[in-house]
Amino acid sequence: MEDEKMMGDVYAVYLRELIRLWRQKVRLVTTIVMPLLWLGVIGNAFNNAFKMPFKGDFLSFLTPGILVMTMVFTSTISGITTVFDREFGFLKEMLVAPIKRESILIGKMLGGVTQAILQGVIIIILAIIMGVNFKGVAAIPGMLLTMFLVSIAFVSFGLAVASKMTSMEGFQMVMNFLIQPMIFLSGAFYPTKMLPSWLKIGVKLNPLTYGVDAMRYFAIGINEFNVVIDLMVMIVLSIVFILLGGYLFRKS
Amino acid sequence: MKAIEIEGLIKEFDGIRAVDGISLEIEYGEIFSLLGPNGAGKTTTISILATLLKPTKGKARVNGYDVVTQAAKVRHSIGIVFQDPSLDDRLTARENLDIHGRLYHMKKDERKKRIEEVLEMVELRERADSLVKTFSGGMRRRLEIARGLMHKPRILFLDEPTLGLDPQTRRHIWNYIEKLRDEGVTVLLTTHYMEEADKLADRVAIIDRGKIVALGSPSELKDSIGGDVIKIKCSNADKMAAILSSNGFNAMIVDNEIIIKAKKAEKEIPRIFSLAKGIEIKSIMYKEPSLEDVFIHYTGKAYREEAGDEMEAIKRRWRMRR
Ligand SMILES: Nc1ncnc2c1ncn2[C@@H]1O[C@H](COP(=O)(O)OP(=O)(O)O)[C@@H](O)[C@H]1O
Ligand SMILES: [Mg+2]
Repeated sequence: MEDEKMMGDVYAVYLRELIRLWRQKVRLVTTIVMPLLWLGVIGNAFNNAFKMPFKGDFLSFLTPGILVMTMVFTSTISGITTVFDREFGFLKEMLVAPIKRESILIGKMLGGVTQAILQGVIIIILAIIMGVNFKGVAAIPGMLLTMFLVSIAFVSFGLAVASKMTSMEGFQMVMNFLIQPMIFLSGAFYPTKMLPSWLKIGVKLNPLTYGVDAMRYFAIGINEFNVVIDLMVMIVLSIVFILLGGYLFRKS
Repeated sequence: MKAIEIEGLIKEFDGIRAVDGISLEIEYGEIFSLLGPNGAGKTTTISILATLLKPTKGKARVNGYDVVTQAAKVRHSIGIVFQDPSLDDRLTARENLDIHGRLYHMKKDERKKRIEEVLEMVELRERADSLVKTFSGGMRRRLEIARGLMHKPRILFLDEPTLGLDPQTRRHIWNYIEKLRDEGVTVLLTTHYMEEADKLADRVAIIDRGKIVALGSPSELKDSIGGDVIKIKCSNADKMAAILSSNGFNAMIVDNEIIIKAKKAEKEIPRIFSLAKGIEIKSIMYKEPSLEDVFIHYTGKAYREEAGDEMEAIKRRWRMRR
């Protein structure tokens, strides 16, 4: 009975996110421009420029990285939209309703994850059109799982940041000093083997590296680490961020 | 049991008292107004009653439930219209109401029926499926009132429901609040507009700096200050006030004007003139007391319906609309 009620509450919060997402579907398309430029321009340009230290083309190698990058950006930003809720008062409407704080949190997280995965799916379709060789239908479940894990981790991260943050400048700081370096050091854009060894330490310490590795494994069958370890790292990261986001969100 | 019982309520923010020992009882079915200038502690009081803030000290019960230990039950009992806008303007009016109904565990059929009812009440049925983004400030406020009533709460909180609205829209909203009386909803209304409290409320608590300075029905409050209000402008206010005081008047100087009260003002005015030897009386007027005079009487200071804050509210609404 209680659980059923909570499902309904989560759904109410989630439904609002879905409606908003639907209303902003144009934005869904415009935010795909960046990853598309990466694939279309950088991907194709370097396709012919280098000989990669593995079999297969650079575009196929790059696509999983771009997918992870898109997940991270979209998820973090949508986590941060709670700031707007706070500013525009809708959060109050939810806080004064007879529902648990957890329901608000979970509903919001699912909203962010849905948006990110939708974008991911669009990118996959466009990548196929550009001639990227995925591992076939078998690639889909693993890719979706990885997208889900990366996305839930970074939506929670966004929520944590949003709970602590009072201005848009703070948001820029987080993007420039945390998210961007994480993406650049994750091997999303190049094989990490090509880096000098002192930078490799950063790569190994960066949890996102393992997300990219898992995605690449499922998508095109190339990997550097054990995929079970990859997934474990992503699960731990998700749990840590969910707890952190939940804690800070409740406190604020 | 009363609809709302407040006992020795105190709320401090960083050691500063926003609410300073309020005690009150509000009956079911009553329209009760907290009237006071900006920063008096009205919103803070409502936030505590709505379980959004915890009191520093004191107790409050809403619909018989303690606001701290039985917060969930309190939330089920109340509807609220916040001072600041809280609609989702990317949703339609109907969607805002539907999500609200879901958050209050209303069944589908019940939601559908109630949405029509509350929209009808605030005359927004034709705009049910328009995005809130396209609504004027007054329409948004009406929709917020409809939303507050959506789940049929026994008690409705309205925090400055007409802040920053034009006079015509304001009267419009007053009509809806009057209608609530007939439906038996208990209303706690905060406002800094004297006229609003006077017109709508069965009882008014005048609040200043977190304390209740006077409480009663509007007419009781006006009677309590001792008759008509006479205002005198003269060349030497201090001297004149001293003369009046030594002749049995209770004279107060507010904004360089002398204020006195008298049972039969028209009989006292000639006496005032005869007492004013050597002091030039520039103007003298008398009127029946308003709630403003009540405020001045109990706080000893002028009442300003601070325009600055209203501009803020209007700006906020504009920002919302973009
Ligand atoms: N969250 C807060 N932190 C610090 N001070 C606050 C906070 N909320 C309100 N105050 C202060 O408490 C006082 C009462 O505010 P409020 O209840 O909003 O008054 P009103 O609604 O009557 O205008 C004001 O001096 C205000 O600055
Ligand atoms: Mg207020």
